[in-house]
Amino acid sequence: MPAGSAVTGVSWGALLVLLPLTGAMVCFLWTRAARILGLSTVIAVCLAVAGLGWQLLQEGVYHHAAGGWGAPLGIELYADGLSLLMLIATAAVALAVSIYSTGYFKRARAIRFWPLWLILLAALNALFLSADIFNLYVTLELVGLAAAALTALGGGAAALRGAMRYLLASLLGSLSYLLGVALLYHSFGSVDIAMLAARMESSPTVWAALGLMSAGLIMKTALYPLHFWLPPAHSSAPAPVSAVLSGLVVKASFYLLLRLWLELFGSVSEGIDNMLGLLGSVAVLWGSVQALRQTRLKLLVAYSTVAQLGYLFLAFPLAASAMTAWNAAAYLVISHALAKAAMFLAAGNLMHFAGHDRIADLDRMVQRLPLTVFAFALAGVSIMGLPPSGGFIGKWLLLEAALTQGRWDLVAVVILGGLLAAGYVFKVLGSAFTQAAVPQRARRVPASMEWPALLLACAAIVLGLVTLPVFSLVTIGDAFGVDEVVP
Amino acid sequence: MLLQSGFDVALGLGLLWVAWQALNSSDLFKAIVFFIAFGLLMALAWVRMDAPDIALAEAAIGAGVTGALLLGALARLRASNAGETTMGQAGNGQRRFMASRRLLWIPLLLMAAGLGYAVLSLPGYTPGLSAQVAANLGASGVSNPVTAVLLNFRGYDTLLELVVLLLALLGMWSMAGPAPPPSAEAAAVLDGLSRFLTPLVLLVAAYLLWVGTRAPGGAFQAGSLLGAAGVLLILAGWRANVASTALSLRLVLTAGPGVFVAVAAFSLLMSGQMLKYPPAYAGILILIIEIAATLSIGLTLAGLFLGGRPRGERKSP
Repeated sequence: MPAGSAVTGVSWGALLVLLPLTGAMVCFLWTRAARILGLSTVIAVCLAVAGLGWQLLQEGVYHHAAGGWGAPLGIELYADGLSLLMLIATAAVALAVSIYSTGYFKRARAIRFWPLWLILLAALNALFLSADIFNLYVTLELVGLAAAALTALGGGAAALRGAMRYLLASLLGSLSYLLGVALLYHSFGSVDIAMLAARMESSPTVWAALGLMSAGLIMKTALYPLHFWLPPAHSSAPAPVSAVLSGLVVKASFYLLLRLWLELFGSVSEGIDNMLGLLGSVAVLWGSVQALRQTRLKLLVAYSTVAQLGYLFLAFPLAASAMTAWNAAAYLVISHALAKAAMFLAAGNLMHFAGHDRIADLDRMVQRLPLTVFAFALAGVSIMGLPPSGGFIGKWLLLEAALTQGRWDLVAVVILGGLLAAGYVFKVLGSAFTQAAVPQRARRVPASMEWPALLLACAAIVLGLVTLPVFSLVTIGDAFGVDEVVP
Repeated sequence: MLLQSGFDVALGLGLLWVAWQALNSSDLFKAIVFFIAFGLLMALAWVRMDAPDIALAEAAIGAGVTGALLLGALARLRASNAGETTMGQAGNGQRRFMASRRLLWIPLLLMAAGLGYAVLSLPGYTPGLSAQVAANLGASGVSNPVTAVLLNFRGYDTLLELVVLLLALLGMWSMAGPAPPPSAEAAAVLDGLSRFLTPLVLLVAAYLLWVGTRAPGGAFQAGSLLGAAGVLLILAGWRANVASTALSLRLVLTAGPGVFVAVAAFSLLMSGQMLKYPPAYAGILILIIEIAATLSIGLTLAGLFLGGRPRGERKSP
């Protein structure tokens, strides 16, 4: 089949990094056309992800030796089903956010937004594709810097303070990770994940590296109690940036943690999984309660991110005897990416329309911005974990794993977290139905800002209906170390 | 032998002392001076560990450029809130922070002990990948192993690192407004010195770039020297007449990552693997990338020191 071999013959993975980098520089050079160039780049990236997906389905895992040297001398790119899943979620959110941004940013800010955003996209793709722990450090650094710079685009003291705090927290996380990389390299003489996995054995140095790298990544993933930087940064950034930060950037460091855990540290880390589960439980409950207490919409959504990130860590104590827990985590990662991005975009629309984000003063939004409120509600369905939605599948799998292992504490956390999420989602929707006491301005929201939010929210719902294709995708390359096919 | 280990012990203790002074000094200016001294001592330490490339980079970037950036930031901090640049005299919240800082000692000491134990339990000497680097050096196009690693074996990392630099400048431009105007006429000594030093620095940068293919040196060291020349000129009050929107400025800023990405895309097209150079052309490709990277690094560092978007000269209304 000539068409098929033409698709599988191209090195789509390398293109996924080079395309957005080129796009970023071209946008930087030719500012007048930044918007159209940026959007075309993102569309090209989506096509490249589709190409990589086709390649993986046809030929199995993707390998690429950058420089042609191969490990241990050179850097290996690697993509299996898990990487592909992250890349697909990234492409979907990126496309929606890019369309949204064409309407959101005026010219002066647009020319600063596009180069930064495309570099961030390149860095995320590079992170999901790398199989080299030092190269992963460089991508982490790129992601952190680009994310902090984008946060500052909001302008004003709050955004700058949030961005600065974010930058410092993120740098501390990167440095901690880097120190772990140095220890591992000195111990095993390689920075390639597969080689390290083959040589891994328990020693004080490995424990130190495990502690440093995990702590750094947990800080970047904003697991309680290292979440302090997230609410100010995510709530003060411009809406499309908030969507990317909550949807994708925190997931990148979680993905890396999961990868390291699965490949390197899983065998040498007794007892730490329970601690991660405990912190995750606290994050779910504490983050949800904080979200309920907020009076500003964007802060509410940001605290909801703290809570939903907690769910991801519940998989660690459960995964020891039930591999479905990893599937649950993967499902939660992508469904939260879509739903939370939709929620932040919808919140951006409400703010754009009314000029404020005080929840109590949302004035009859259901009649005035029906599409946006519908998008918020649909995203809320997935965040709460109601069927049919991606969030439901993820939480259901978690519950199932917890029930079969008799972990009633985790069962309680999952259910309680869902109830609290319902509380804060309905708090917003309730205000959207009622008339506010104060009269307020109304500014038209362009269709290019309403539809991306709705489509993302719909995607989060549809995820609940396509479980089998998603699970068969994840099994490519067997990242979770199971051969059994999941229900 | 004894003399050497005596020197090493003194160097180690000196590093610790200078680092402590830099962290603990309540006067920010003093802290920065100690930080620069730390960078210089660290460069000496790298020399003692037979890593002259890292020593050069540490002296140029760690002590030189970073020190200049810190001093520049301090000057602007002083200009914005006159006099209040010490950490000691601050409000209530700050004092509470200082008090809770003492409690932080306990986890930090525990962590230091754990790390110290881990480091002591490391095998004393591990060859790492140096044997493989040496074995493949012939096909890399250069004879300096560090340059071979940075631009050939792990060129993909360096490509991304050049993007990090560009990103740093873009980030600064998105946070800060236009650059502040030059403060005053430079003193005659500074003016004369910069006229004398700039060509010399350019010459040394060009030498470092050229020699990098076979001896310690290379794009990062040469680029940071170019950046230092830029810092000197900016301090002397000189401003290039280009705005941040000028295409020429943007072209030089993106030259390094741009050429690198172009080479990556071209090699992907030709050989199916990005950044795989044909051995016959590896040397010249590396040199081209390094020249472009040096220019970009120099301009980016000078741009960072400028502390805002360059505005160019306004046309008189």
